[in-house]
Amino acid sequence: MKTRNLLQISLLIFPLVYLFFSCSSSTTEMTFDSSKLRKASQEEVEKVVEAFILAEDGDVIEVPEGFYSFKTQLILDNKSNIQIKGQGMDKTVLSFRELKTGGEGVKLVGNEILIQDLSIEDAPGDGVKSQHVDGMTFRRINVTWTNGDKSKNGTYAIYPVQCKNVLIDECIASHSKDAGIYVGQSENIIVKNSLAFGNVAGIEIENSDNAEVYGNTARDNAGGILVFNLPGLPKSDGKGTKIYDNDIITNNHVNFATPLGEDPNGNTVTMIPPGSGIVLLAAKDVEVYNNRIHKNKTVGIAIANYHVTGFPMDAPNWSPFTSNIYVHNNDFKRTWRFPDLTKEFGQLISVYNAHGKGKTQDIIYDGFFDQSLAENILSNPMSICIDEADMEKLNFTLFDLWEGEENIKASKDYNPFVCQTEVFTDVSHLTQK
Amino acid sequence: MTRFEFRILFGVLFLGMALSCSQKTSEEIERWDPSAIVEAEWPEKSMAQIDFAGIPFKNLSDYGFFKGEVTALAPSDRVLPYAPASSLFTDYAFKSRFIWMPEGEAATINSDEEGTLNFPDQTILIKNFYYPLDFAQPEGPKRIIETRLMVKQNGIWEAYPYIWNDEQSDAAYKVVGAEKPVHWKDAAGETQVINYLVPNKNQCKSCHNANEVMVPIGVKAKHLNHTIDFSEGASNQLEKWASEGMLNGFDHPEAYPKMVDYLDSKGPLELRAKAYLDINCAHCHRAEGPASTSGLFLTYEEKDPLKLGVFKTPVAAGFGAGSFKYAILPGKADESILTYRMETNIVGAAMPEIGRVTTHQEGLALIKDWINSLE
Repeated sequence: MKTRNLLQISLLIFPLVYLFFSCSSSTTEMTFDSSKLRKASQEEVEKVVEAFILAEDGDVIEVPEGFYSFKTQLILDNKSNIQIKGQGMDKTVLSFRELKTGGEGVKLVGNEILIQDLSIEDAPGDGVKSQHVDGMTFRRINVTWTNGDKSKNGTYAIYPVQCKNVLIDECIASHSKDAGIYVGQSENIIVKNSLAFGNVAGIEIENSDNAEVYGNTARDNAGGILVFNLPGLPKSDGKGTKIYDNDIITNNHVNFATPLGEDPNGNTVTMIPPGSGIVLLAAKDVEVYNNRIHKNKTVGIAIANYHVTGFPMDAPNWSPFTSNIYVHNNDFKRTWRFPDLTKEFGQLISVYNAHGKGKTQDIIYDGFFDQSLAENILSNPMSICIDEADMEKLNFTLFDLWEGEENIKASKDYNPFVCQTEVFTDVSHLTQK
Repeated sequence: MTRFEFRILFGVLFLGMALSCSQKTSEEIERWDPSAIVEAEWPEKSMAQIDFAGIPFKNLSDYGFFKGEVTALAPSDRVLPYAPASSLFTDYAFKSRFIWMPEGEAATINSDEEGTLNFPDQTILIKNFYYPLDFAQPEGPKRIIETRLMVKQNGIWEAYPYIWNDEQSDAAYKVVGAEKPVHWKDAAGETQVINYLVPNKNQCKSCHNANEVMVPIGVKAKHLNHTIDFSEGASNQLEKWASEGMLNGFDHPEAYPKMVDYLDSKGPLELRAKAYLDINCAHCHRAEGPASTSGLFLTYEEKDPLKLGVFKTPVAAGFGAGSFKYAILPGKADESILTYRMETNIVGAAMPEIGRVTTHQEGLALIKDWINSLE
């Protein structure tokens, strides 16, 4: 898809509307004010650094109440059965504002690691990253950035990657320049009862297997919850994600992953249009049900294939297509706000949807499909199933983008996709934690 | 533009101004004074009597690696200097490297394409980081900042960082890292001042890491298979090790992989560029390394253009991607994420993630030349 023509058309049609309605909101809301906490002394700070460096299997690292400002990374190096405990999100704060080198504030490697009851602030890259951990639990941690200028914020707040058996419970992730809670290239995952706000993406499951995301609130992000599969990674194609009982509301935040007015870069998240509730991209086996998807100004659920990115799609053991999707029993509420025009994908939805220009969509499907499986999409070759009550009252659009921007087609016809399918996940072993 | 956005814009401008002001003050770094140097000699110690159970010792002088005048860093008997063909950039620091193995023990070369080495237990690698006061006189007065040790015991490597005192009489074991203001006169005669960052002990493994196991980086056949000067004359390093009884089953140099020196401007551009990327990036950017998450693999041996970054989109680069789409856009070095991340000093975007606070202009120029030569 090329932007230029689309942009010109949309700007010609809606100059005034654009000015008045399309500006996305922004927030710098803080959960609490860490500046009121007692400042830990240099000795106390070094004691925490040493506790991480000298940790032995089975250690409990207790971090007392206070504001700890680190100039170096906290790294746990391949240890087992470690508990890192603060005194509470609003009591123990690990600040990395003064960090001068290193990709993340806290890095955790090993097995059976728990981090709980603390906050992590202002890491230059990622807040807390765990890699190659089997048994990783994040509980009641708050990871955020306190910069007024959000363009200075870091990438991911809570970032498990290449992990097994990940539990993220009652956490808060806010103001990250990419995803607040990002689980990548991992397997067996629960993200529950957590809050993600003010991020570009609230919660993202990427190239991961067997994940359940439930009981969370994703609000005031540019995109609420994303399930992606990206090409060319060691863990190539992830499958099996259930997203249920979440509040996915007013995700109308400006997409600040790139500077205002700048085009998206190669990071897929830079393309997410503000006002997106759930986005599935090259996703496999995803069930989305019992969610409250309210007042996301552009689209409630977007079912997309990797084709919409315009990036190369040649990668081993990976498919650009989204397949086997089951969307049902969700509660949709639209908004009067004007859908996004700042991103190409937003322009497509705003301008070319089947219900009228400027209308928020509840569900869209970009309409790409594997042409080796069927001649046209009406036989639903990718098994995209949508089984919502009052389907006729929802704004559903099926696009046909095969012929490019010159001939974009859109249809309201949801009938080919009214079906049921099965998505399998099993994370029951993690619920006992 | 709404009033709100206007306020944001103003906030950005104001913040930018405030930051640029505060940066000026941080440049006024208190300088180390060479007159602080106290002449001292290394105590006489025999490496053969080292008590490995007591490692890490409190001070560097407790080991017996060096003899004579302290800052000369002259190796004791059987402590052998080594140098990789291409070396890692660490804020223009000079490095001197040494290896010691217990007498009668030897390493072997594995048959993999890098020629990794199997070292005997109790092998010690010693790496000193220092700055000559005047780069035009590299053998002249210098300031030694840190000495990093890697010691293999019970099959496991461990890293021990030692930080030098201002008097330059010894270095002390310190796990939490440090920040050291450093200045020198560069080759062009300009005075350079930086805040050199000594990594904390666990940051060592940010680079020395294969499948979460600590490993050495520079001591592989491909890095060592070239000639350097020893006190007894010039020799191929592998041959020298073999003749000293430190290498078993050695055949002849041609039987092992060999990497070029990226500084050798007569070498082929592609090989020089890949040698640079290998020693500066590939310790993480390989299938066994911490940056395997990115799918960007920058080893000397990598042949797949996509894995090397050609038309490869980023995964978790965040603002490290700048305004660019691909790690390498052939022919367009200035629109490639690779060069952007090599050039920037913004924490979180700068690559490598640790080990530098300045840009390696010469290395950057080499990689730009290479990318611009690609079609």
